[in-house]
Amino acid sequence: MTMPTTPVTWRLGQGAAWRPQLDGALARADGLGFIEVIAEAIGERELPAGVAAALARGLRVVPHGVSLSLGGAERPDPGRLAHLAAVARRVDAPLVSEHIAFVRADGRESGHLLPVPRTREALEILSENVAIAREALPVPLALEHVAALVQWPDAEMDEATFVSELIERTGALLLLDLSNLYANAHNHGYDALESLVRFPLDRIAYVHVGGGRFQDGVYHDTHTDPVLPGVLHLVEELFALTDAPGVLLERDGDFPPEAELAAELRAIADAARRGSEHRVRA
Amino acid sequence: MSAPDREAYAARQAQLLDALLRGACAPDGFDAERAEAAGRSLRRKRAGAVARAWPALALDLGPEFDARFDAFARAVDAPASGDPRADGLAFARTLGRDPRRGDDARAELLLGRAALRRGGLFVGAAWLRRPRRRLLVVARLPWLGVVHRSVPRGRLWA
Repeated sequence: MTMPTTPVTWRLGQGAAWRPQLDGALARADGLGFIEVIAEAIGERELPAGVAAALARGLRVVPHGVSLSLGGAERPDPGRLAHLAAVARRVDAPLVSEHIAFVRADGRESGHLLPVPRTREALEILSENVAIAREALPVPLALEHVAALVQWPDAEMDEATFVSELIERTGALLLLDLSNLYANAHNHGYDALESLVRFPLDRIAYVHVGGGRFQDGVYHDTHTDPVLPGVLHLVEELFALTDAPGVLLERDGDFPPEAELAAELRAIADAARRGSEHRVRA
Repeated sequence: MSAPDREAYAARQAQLLDALLRGACAPDGFDAERAEAAGRSLRRKRAGAVARAWPALALDLGPEFDARFDAFARAVDAPASGDPRADGLAFARTLGRDPRRGDDARAELLLGRAALRRGGLFVGAAWLRRPRRRLLVVARLPWLGVVHRSVPRGRLWA
């Protein structure tokens, strides 16, 4: 099952993950080009009013799946794929995204995005699952690498190599999550920037940025805290390397006052702009 | 390369899942301390989602919430839907009836049970104490959805 490589044809600009609690703040936020919705939280017919309003304002909507378990041993479930496809059609999505992770095993749901072993065997299984998913989807698929505190012991390659191989094999796109990169680099003791340059940056569909915090020396990718300066620095470095098609803030809880959210969006846009200026000058 | 062994892959993933969700021993080769920290972090994330979906219950349990939810989470998987409301309802059921439970938590629980009842009818009631003793009756009815009335004790038998 070989599928063609997807070209990136969109400019999404600045984005924010849509959550019901952020409905008002995002409706009033300046300069948003797109929002992301959790596909499993959206019905196939009736859209949440805020999402429908965003579409009417001309924002692009990207469905983000969390339950396909593409890194799982089972082939992706046709029902879940059909739902993701239906939501993509419903919001006229330019693309959809999912994770390089497994969420269930042996019929048990973890409720979380768990890491896969970075082995040739896992690559085989993932590639097959991704091909099945792409067949069922009406739009391109972008794959996101996850933050993981625990790592499989039998890694045959590092994360940047593993993700590059997967993107290369499947023809899918990359959803680069700079917070996940920051988390894994810190928690597993390698250099984030050195890793970043080896990701397939020419295959980026868009970029995730989220908040987190340090606890007992471990960085937790909480999405309920502010975005740390180290992550903003990676945004700047990324845009100094490449003009990524979009960058999106994920906030899932402990929602800040509207002004604070707006300031965080501005800080991300500023970091991207500073990076772009370096790139253009270089 | 030969076809990957999906069954063996599934078994290894299931082992890791057990370690993370139930606090079982980490599989061979894993950093045990990291696996424990990762498991704690995942259970805390789940607890946070439930606390946000059931704010009155979380407030009612106060400092006990974390430990009690952690014990529950180690024993019971999150629902397949991932819905923290359903997860919280399953958690609340394990707590049993507690006379110390406050009015807000009682009302929240009753309304939650009605809202989450799949496709069916629901009628339930709970005594509330403040500002005066009254019976909260909650029903889920065709067309009307979830409706509730609060009846003061004095008028109940009139």
